Formats: sequence, structure tokens, C-alpha cells
Amino acid sequence: MLKFAWIFSILLPGLGQIVMGQVRRGLFALTGFLTSLAMAYWRFSLLAPRETTILGVLRRSLERRPSFTFLVLILLALFWILGILDTIKLAHVGPGRKARGLISFFFVLSLLLFVLGWQISEIDVPRMVKDFNKAMTPLNRVLWPWKAAVTRDTRVLSARAEILEGEGNPPGKPVPKPGNPYVYAEPTVGVSSKLDEKGQPVPGTIITLHGSGFEPNTKTDIWWEDPIGSRFQVRIGGEYLSVQTDPEGKFTVKLPIPYSIIPPGAVKGPLIHYVEAQQVFPIGPLKLSTPFLEIVSRMVETIVMGLMATVLGIVFAIPLSFLAARNIMHGSWIGMSIYYLMRFIMNVVRSIEPIIWAVIAVVWVGLGPFAGVIALTVHSIASLGKLYSEAIEGIDHGPIEAVQATGATKLQTIMFAVIPQMVSPFISFSIYRWDINVRMSTIIGMVGGGGVGFVLLQYVRLLDYQAAGIAVWFIAVTVAVLDYVSAEIRERMI
Amino acid sequence: MLEVQHLTKVYSDGTAALKDVSFSVQDGEFLVVIGLSGAGKSTLLRCINRLIEPTEGKIIWNGVDVTKADSKSLRKIRRDFGMIFQQFNLVQRLSVQMNVLAGRLGYVPPAMSLLYRFNEEDYRMAEEALRKVGLLEMAYKRARELSGGQQQRVGIARALMQQPKVILADEPVASLDPVLAHSILGYLERLNKEEGITVICSLHYLDLVQRYASRVIGLRGGQLVYEGSREDIRRMTDAQFKEVYGEEAERIAPPSLLGGTKDA
Repeated sequence: MLKFAWIFSILLPGLGQIVMGQVRRGLFALTGFLTSLAMAYWRFSLLAPRETTILGVLRRSLERRPSFTFLVLILLALFWILGILDTIKLAHVGPGRKARGLISFFFVLSLLLFVLGWQISEIDVPRMVKDFNKAMTPLNRVLWPWKAAVTRDTRVLSARAEILEGEGNPPGKPVPKPGNPYVYAEPTVGVSSKLDEKGQPVPGTIITLHGSGFEPNTKTDIWWEDPIGSRFQVRIGGEYLSVQTDPEGKFTVKLPIPYSIIPPGAVKGPLIHYVEAQQVFPIGPLKLSTPFLEIVSRMVETIVMGLMATVLGIVFAIPLSFLAARNIMHGSWIGMSIYYLMRFIMNVVRSIEPIIWAVIAVVWVGLGPFAGVIALTVHSIASLGKLYSEAIEGIDHGPIEAVQATGATKLQTIMFAVIPQMVSPFISFSIYRWDINVRMSTIIGMVGGGGVGFVLLQYVRLLDYQAAGIAVWFIAVTVAVLDYVSAEIRERMI
Repeated sequence: MLEVQHLTKVYSDGTAALKDVSFSVQDGEFLVVIGLSGAGKSTLLRCINRLIEPTEGKIIWNGVDVTKADSKSLRKIRRDFGMIFQQFNLVQRLSVQMNVLAGRLGYVPPAMSLLYRFNEEDYRMAEEALRKVGLLEMAYKRARELSGGQQQRVGIARALMQQPKVILADEPVASLDPVLAHSILGYLERLNKEEGITVICSLHYLDLVQRYASRVIGLRGGQLVYEGSREDIRRMTDAQFKEVYGEEAERIAPPSLLGGTKDA
């Protein structure tokens, strides 16, 4: 029987090993083989969605991803062959010696799973290298965002002129006001830029804008306001359009009427656009920017959230931890069932991440820091409850005995022998938890739980990487400081 | 005088730790209890001040049955028995002084001590006790900062605070090296001789037993198997000792280090 087990391995890898009594080895090989076969077929059929036959799928995926498909097939075949060789080697074992199979057998399986894993997780190193420059802009802004932390009040010098789109009476030149800057456009009527059926841009009427009475030799930005009142800075080829005034404060610039979407029926009467030239001068001293102040206040909110959650967590966890300590609850079946119930609930609650609790809490009490506090508190109670109860279980019975022996009452024994033993772990775990809670509250805002995470995500979505960078810096510094402080306090306390 | 009569202890898991043990201890004796680990020495010592509730039998302390005492009078009885332990059993986080003061818990009004407050007299006593064991300068250190020998001396000081009539010492030197073992037993001997405190001490080194004991009882499997006077023990050979004690008996140090062991 042993001699011919390899025949079963020809049928299916692992079968021969099972037949000859190496059941665990065989089952492992069989499971590994079937799993990788299933994963391979799944990936192949994704590569060849229109094929219906197995051969068709293989042919198509060989065309599309030759190296991946080839490698997987070779490794599958190699695994099969090694399975047979392994069976033969196991069968030819001398008397009194332990059967040794092939190590390469399992090495090939690991390699196979790695190749499949590489493809399934869509690892694309060349793209990562090629597109590194894309990451540079946001990365730079995040790494050094401090330009956005300060701002100045501004004085704006601007003038504008009307442009008519489509039919109607062309607007005349604006009337100049003495002492104010002045612009006029030529022509004052035209069509705006459009997209054709293929999505290609078709430039609108080119207008020439003349300006005078501006600050000389200064950068002047061109803005546009469409008939429904949306205002934007004009771009040409992706770059903002601006022009330098001459020494007399004059300029001339050409621009096409920009692309704008006006919903049908949104405007009654003629479509009047405005083109505007504007110079901005910072005045007054530097001051902290709005995002900076917002982030600071949210950061304070975050730390307070973490503190509140920790305090509330401690308050609830202390009584519960006694119910979850074996040495307190043992003795009666009621005690032990409470013990097991508490342990079970704590384990379940703890295994659900605070961010999930936050999602639930946001539905419950609405967006804001309160939801975050609820989420963190729930998780803290379960974690601290478990840690505390383990501290209670771990107390040394010796001192209790010694204090009892002096003739102390029960209460005296608790004060002198039980509590002193629990102070250190309680303080240590509580500070550790505060540390975790502040860390967690920075991200809990991302699901609406208040705190700095909330504004961080908002800035990322607005592509305001500098403001996001300020938030990231604050989080990093806070976490680092907290880490140090909590380690320091724990060191002193214990 | 302490009388132990037909003492039996059966634990809830069915183990019989003590079987019908009877003996008596005169005031001022240095009684050593010998026996293998698991022979019932610790159980016996803890039954005397009812840290462990005896199953059957009586313990008569100066005419009062300890086993019948209610919690109030038990508290008074426990004050008479100072206790020291193999693992010292200090509260590691508290200061040496506070550990020593804990010895007064049987005397002070409970309400005050709950806030870790004691009166002037107690502080003065603690100072005295620490001076006696030579640790006065360590008073404000935390117990865990002390070495093993020092911790055991704090244990003795704590027991002294009870103004005990008896000291129960459960393997007081088993966690210490030979030199420290003699130092600790030396303190106990001095208390025994100078202040007339009865000592009941479990030990398992033959030479220490021979050196310090005024009387010996031997336990084996929870039963009293040996009782001998000071002279009996001094005459005892290693072979006889092992017969009572079991094969694991051993000497702690070369005889030259020890005074008073003639036959070693």
C-alpha cells in the first residue's frame, strides 16, 4: 500500500500522503492546492471576461498577462509533480527512521500563493516609481505647510467691465470715475468657450481688456463673473491669467470668453458677464490664518474628547472590572456566570474598533464631539475593564494574609493590602488608555465624531494640502508629546 | 500557653492537610516545626491564628478557644500572634514605615487607619521597632527597594508592632542565603531570649534546627510523627533526621560557620 501511494498523488496532490497515513500533511497540501487553483481561475477569468471555456480563458489570459499566467501554471504543475515525489520519498524510509518529505514541496506552495497575492492586490511597482512626482506636490505642502498658517489683511484695487453673451444690445464702455482704476473690453459682445460633441474645447470670442489707473509694475489678476454670479479666476492652459502693469499703471491683455455652464432658464433677459482686473496688496501685520485657528481649536477639542472618554471609561470600568475578575467572582455559580458574561461582553465590545462605534454614535446623537466621546468611552470601558480585572486577578495574596494576621478588619485589609497593589497598574493602564484615546480621537472625526480628524478630512477633500498639513503636524506633535508624557508619568508612578 | 488539640484540616478539594495533630507550647519556647513541603507546616501555623479555618479540633490560647472566637475577639487574639513569612509579604508599594505601622492595625480605631493615619505613639513605636532591626534609615523607602534580608527584617518589625506574645514564622529563611538566614534567626532568637516571646517556626535545614530550636515537632503527611527536646535534636544524626524528615533534608552550610552543632 505504502509503495503505491504515489499513484493517488498523481490523481490529486495530497491524496497519496493521506492514503499512506500522513493525513495532516496531505490535507494541508490538498487545501493549499485547491485554494490556489480556485484563486488562479478567479484571476484568469477576470482577465478573460468574455470567454466561456476553460481553454479559452487560459488562452486569453496568456495573451493579456503572459508572465503572470505562465508563472502560475508552471508553479501549479511543479507543485503537482513535487507532491508525487514527496509521496515516493515518504514511502522509501528506512526502518526506525522518521519519514522526511520534501521541503521544496511547501516552498513551491508559498511561492504560488505569493505570486497570486501580488496579482490580487494589484501591486504595480513601475507605476509607483513613474508617478512619484504626482505625490510630490501634496507631500511638500503637507511636510511644510506653515505658509498657510499666517495671513495678512488685504487691500484690493479692482475694476470691471460688462460683456454680453449672445443676442442683445452691446454694453457700452464703463464710465471712468476719477481716482479709481478703470477697464474696458473690446469687443463687448461674443460667445463663450464651449465643448464640442467629442469633449474637445472650442475657444470663445477673444476679447481684449485695457486697464488704466492701477498701481504701476504690479501683478494684476483677471477674474470673471458669469450671469448666475459665480466668480472665478480666469485660467489659460491650466495657469491663472495675470498681467504686469506698466510704469503708468496701464495694461492690455487678450483672453477668450471662458467656459461656463448656465442652466437653461436660470437667467431672464440678456446674459451679462463681467470681466474684472484686480490687484491685491497685503497690509498690516502677519496674523494667524483661519485654518490655523480652526485646527488649534479642533485640536483642543480632540484632546478634551480623549480626556473625557478616559475619565468616563475609568469611572465605569472600575466597578465592572471587579465583576470580571476570577478571584473576586469565584465560589458560586452565579458569580462565575456573571464573570463569564462580563468577559464575553468586554471581548465583543473591545473587538469592535472605536471608529465603528463612532459611526453608530453619530447616528445616535448626531455629528460632533459627543459622538466621538461615546465611541471612545464604550471602547475604553471594555479595554480598561479587561486590563483592570487582570490586575485584580494578579494581586499577590501574601500581603493580604500578612495584614489580616495583624488583626486588621476587612476594610483595613483592603486599604492596606489590596488597594496599594492595584494603584500602580490602575494608574499605568489609565494613562496608557488616555494616550490611546487622544490618538483615536484624531481619526474618529473622519466619520463625523468631532475633533481634528473632521477638519483634516475636509481639507484633504478640498485639496487644501497646506491646511491638511497643519492638522497633520498638530496631530503628530500632540501624539509625540503625549507619548513622552505618559511614559514619564508611568515611570514615576510605578 | 498554647494548646493544639486534635487539629484537623481538610481543604474543599478534599486534601487532608492536617490529621489529628495535638501538641502544646510553653511560654518562652523556640519550637521548630519540621517536615517536607506539603507536610502541613504552613497550614498548621495559619490555623493557629485562623488565617485558615480548622475543620476540627481546638486551639486553646491562655484558656480561650481560638476556633470559637467571634470576629471581634479573634481580632484581639490575632494581635498576640505576630507572623512572618517566607516571601516576607510586605506591601511593596508602601513605605517601610507604613508597612511597619500596619502591624498596629489590630489596635487602632479602624476609621482613622483607613486614611493611613496613626497616632504619635504608633509612629514612635515604629521608629523603635525599625531601630531594633537596624533599618531606621530605610523608613521612608518603598518596601520593594529593599533586599530580601532587609525585607524580612521589616517583616519582623511589623510583627513586633503587635506587641506579640508569640511569633509564628513560616519558613522565614527559605528565600534567603545562609548568612542572612542566620542573621534573621538571630533576631528571632534574641526576641525569644530577651523579651520572652514564644517562637513557633517552620524550618527545613537540619543545622539551623539544631542551632536554634528548644524543641522540635515533625510533620509528615499532615500527622505529627516526631517530638523531641533540645538535647534529642542535638544528638540526632543525619540519618535519623532524614528518617523523620524524608530524603530531601540537607545542611545549609559547612559546620565551621555554625556555633553549637557538635555532631555535624
